[in-house]
Amino acid sequence: MEKFKEIIRQYPFLGFIIAFFILMAIPSIFFTDLYQSHLSSLIFINIIVAAGLNIVKGYCGQVTVGHVGLYAVGSYTAGCMFMYLGASLWITLPVAILVTGLFGVAFAIPSFRLEGPYLALATLGGGEAIRLFIENGEFFGSTYGISSISQPELFGITFDTPDKYYYISMPIMLIAIYFSFSVLRSSIGRAFMAVREDPISAAASGINVKKHKMLAFILSAMFAGAAGAVYAHLPPGYIHPNNYTVIEMVTFLAMVVFGGLGHIWGGIIGAVIITIVYDLTRPLYEYQLFIFGLTIVLTILFMPKGIGGFIDKYFIDRRFKKKQGVASK
Amino acid sequence: MLLKTKKLMKAFGGLKAINKVDFELPKNEIRGIIGPNGSGKSTFFNLVSGVYDADPGSYIEFDGHDITNEPPHKVGELGLARTFQLLRLYQDMSVINNVMSGYHTLVPYKFIDAVIGRKKIWDQEKVIKEEMMELLSFVGLADYAEMNASELSGGQRRLLVLARAIAGKPKLLMLDEPAAGLSPVNVDNLMKILMRLKEKYGLTLIIIEHILKVVMDTCSKVTVLDHGEKIAEGTPSQIKDDNAVIEAYLGKKMDDEEMRKALDV
Repeated sequence: MEKFKEIIRQYPFLGFIIAFFILMAIPSIFFTDLYQSHLSSLIFINIIVAAGLNIVKGYCGQVTVGHVGLYAVGSYTAGCMFMYLGASLWITLPVAILVTGLFGVAFAIPSFRLEGPYLALATLGGGEAIRLFIENGEFFGSTYGISSISQPELFGITFDTPDKYYYISMPIMLIAIYFSFSVLRSSIGRAFMAVREDPISAAASGINVKKHKMLAFILSAMFAGAAGAVYAHLPPGYIHPNNYTVIEMVTFLAMVVFGGLGHIWGGIIGAVIITIVYDLTRPLYEYQLFIFGLTIVLTILFMPKGIGGFIDKYFIDRRFKKKQGVASK
Repeated sequence: MLLKTKKLMKAFGGLKAINKVDFELPKNEIRGIIGPNGSGKSTFFNLVSGVYDADPGSYIEFDGHDITNEPPHKVGELGLARTFQLLRLYQDMSVINNVMSGYHTLVPYKFIDAVIGRKKIWDQEKVIKEEMMELLSFVGLADYAEMNASELSGGQRRLLVLARAIAGKPKLLMLDEPAAGLSPVNVDNLMKILMRLKEKYGLTLIIIEHILKVVMDTCSKVTVLDHGEKIAEGTPSQIKDDNAVIEAYLGKKMDDEEMRKALDV
């Protein structure tokens, strides 16, 4: 077991390959109806967004409330490319990632001068502006939305039902997590944290604060773009401006905060839990904003590090005990 | 000369925080900067390290580069490290991460390698971590590596800030009140570490300090600032007897006549 751990630590992507095969097997063993597959795809999409949001908010400490706008940009890039060019996911996904990355630059610029709640307001305005622009634009299908976006094909299989689409969204999610994992574990992740904790002292250590803020915004925008594109092609392939409102933003925030800001796995666990809760509370639509807002407030008050904090604490305690055990022997 | 300033000026509104300071520092020296509160010592640091922009006409040169009004991270990249009076630790990061982020400019791998997560990244990270652990044991914090920086005691925080500043292998290290709030035993310990640092890394140091013992025992030369102006410079023993310095700290020496006038008797 120790040896296995050592190998995984040296070659992290092996862990992701193992996870891939486990997730491949899950539907045939556990799932009983199509809706479970659909929900899993939604969970995977939200995990991608949460992983991206964790980079900019959890690691780099920039309070952005406009992420749903970037998610919308990803979706509508994919949607419009399908509507006007008939492009499939394999083309729209990289284009959506690039376009959303460019929008990320626009979101990063206010962060050079603004901080905390002021930055939140600026990004909130940006996100809402994107949604309203889409809603009022004939080009984007305005309030009709874009419907029957095609599903991708691969090896002669069309992934046009939720149970098949599971096998599209799942690998993309794993790749996204892998990228966020490797970036955040490197010196760049540390630089992000340094910028979050104290920009002045980070700059004194030779960390270019503006560059890293920009990088964090672009990276997280790319994640949101990828998630948006995968969402647009999700069967039945329908996107509407109402899917990108403040409520969605609050759920994204709830995922990251509840899961643990600045904790890679915490954000993912948060995405899983909050997506399921979001789905269960669909009948209580009027109260959803309230529920998730309250979740955020209570999490910040009573467990500021979220679930990730508990995970960390468990491992640190265990390591500490091990050390003590060794010392007493 | 490692560091050179010419006519360094900085005014905040009408207050001249630093007024035409010419400063020269050769390599391998430990220089002390002293002066009463508000004399511009910290402003001097902030100007040199790029936190503040100097007023027009100023000139700062570091290691042959003109660094006047360069942004702080550029100055940091050139090998000028500093600590802050208010420490500015990364509170919510582990001790080892604090130190490793100080190594940022020397990290050998490229961004794209990190994104792909190639194996050599993990190997290099391992090497960096080992090196930084060595540094931590040098200042005596190796046992606390995995703890959060906010869990350390005041004295340990000061040592951690010091370790973070050395992590980037600077040529010049500027310490802003490294011994403030330390007990006498810890002050001695800190002084020992500073002297060993100088030997081990060939560092040049500038120390702002109010505890005169530190300045007198470690510094080979002392610069005295008062009201933004340089009023004296010399060896510690020269400075101790300098009239201008005594005046700045204690006020003017009066003869009997003046005293009588002042007391109105």
